[in-house]
Amino acid sequence: MQKTLSLLAAGAALAALPALAHAQSHPDFTGAWQIAAYSAALKPVDGGAVPLKPEAKKVYDQHLAAAAKGDRTWDETTICLPEGLPRLQTIKEPFEIMQKSNAMYFVAQNRLPWRAYFNEKLPDDPDPMYLGYHVAKWEGDKLVIDSSGFRDVSMLDDSGIPHSEKLRLTATYEMGADNKTMSVTWRIEDPDTFTKPWTAKASFKRMPANFQFPEEVCAAKLQSTAPKR
Amino acid sequence: MGVMLKWGAGGAAVAVLAAATAGAAYAQAAPGAPAAKAPDNAAGAVPPSGSINARQAPRKPKTLFDDPDPTLALTPGFGGANAPLRPRPGAPPNPDPKNFEGVWWLRGYEYLLGPSPGVPAPLKPQYIELLKKRIRAKNAGKPETDTSTACFPHGMPRLMESPYPIEIVQTPGRVTFLHEVAHEVRRIYLDQKHPANLPETFLGHSVGHWEGDTLVVDTVGINDKSFIDDEGEAHSNKEHLTERYRKIDGGRQIELVMTVDDPVTLEHPYSYTRYYEWRPDVRPSEYICEENNRNAPVNGVTVAK
Repeated sequence: MQKTLSLLAAGAALAALPALAHAQSHPDFTGAWQIAAYSAALKPVDGGAVPLKPEAKKVYDQHLAAAAKGDRTWDETTICLPEGLPRLQTIKEPFEIMQKSNAMYFVAQNRLPWRAYFNEKLPDDPDPMYLGYHVAKWEGDKLVIDSSGFRDVSMLDDSGIPHSEKLRLTATYEMGADNKTMSVTWRIEDPDTFTKPWTAKASFKRMPANFQFPEEVCAAKLQSTAPKR
Repeated sequence: MGVMLKWGAGGAAVAVLAAATAGAAYAQAAPGAPAAKAPDNAAGAVPPSGSINARQAPRKPKTLFDDPDPTLALTPGFGGANAPLRPRPGAPPNPDPKNFEGVWWLRGYEYLLGPSPGVPAPLKPQYIELLKKRIRAKNAGKPETDTSTACFPHGMPRLMESPYPIEIVQTPGRVTFLHEVAHEVRRIYLDQKHPANLPETFLGHSVGHWEGDTLVVDTVGINDKSFIDDEGEAHSNKEHLTERYRKIDGGRQIELVMTVDDPVTLEHPYSYTRYYEWRPDVRPSEYICEENNRNAPVNGVTVAK
């Protein structure tokens, strides 16, 4: 019995070795990142239109028409409610990644955090959150983050593409050869909003090493709640 | 005189809600915890948690300066450093004394941040008067809304006194505090100087260095819009904080010795101690301050679920 145990232990140790070596070879995404070319609207990589279902297209068209008239009351962020994803990464402001062995930590400039845990499964019946639930895994040098459990209040992007609570994102992070750029590809699936899954992609540039995030306070933009001093 | 404040209506209701939330969060941590066991305490200088439980906490004044005037009643807190320890099951803490990574939760949230529970900071006379005015306003049901109840950051040192989890992440050159409360973030830059021409912010600018196994954090550049604490002790934009963090109790707690200096509002600097409990069973959740405003319509429906 003891022999079996020690064999098992040795086997486990051996099995862990390549994993360890592999872990060290992963690119390090730790740092501050900013979208390389801002665009209000996420665009499908296939060049086609966002495959919105008719009801969702009606909502999106309302958002576009209202925004054209300067009316963004449909946009929850105008009352300081959180951007969802991937919007929080594709806005103009940078965000931060902290890469650890057990989790990837993301923090937007406006301080909204989200965490993707390795070696875990997404919850089956999550209580929806603005920023959802996330699990991370490595596929070679690619970091893949699966997300679900989003609230339907948020938009996918600044242009106002809506989504439901059935939104599921699969984000694939790839480091550029120079270590100063990365790309993120999102597979966007939401059977209540889209006729089929679609894919969007964005490039990011690493902020300078001496960059420090400013303190961003959304409430300061709201005259109604700003403390009068 | 940047500390004289005027506030809009609605602060009272929000403040009550915040207090209720604070109580609920604290209660969450309490039930079913096993009895405290005196752990090893190699450092020795700090009483082990067992004796903290057993120790007779000093009598805590119920009003400011024990004044018989009931309008100066202090909000009851949870004992500060005298709060009982509630050890929890879960993964053991990292044995490295300089590894603070993981989730931590303040013991003994207090509303008045002075040198000991119920004792105010050594405020100059005019700021004692201001504190009395704020306490009286609160007890009359018309509190001066502080920054956090208007969804602005809590300010410092108050943020470190929040009854919510704090997740610490360490990366090269940085220690980062991810607070659940209002998703506030403190980035502590290691072995750096504060930049010149620092913009004033609610949480200030923090640099840190290690002295042995103690993380020493220096924070300046804090604007004068926040209070030192929940009761309304005033600080200026000359506030200067020195925090000394170290793991004690076999790594199950982080001890913080907070020193507050402010040449404008304080007669002299003062210090207090707090303990943050290792909570591997907790994952910080989403905290949306703005959803106190639950009737805000988005796409024609209310945000509240």
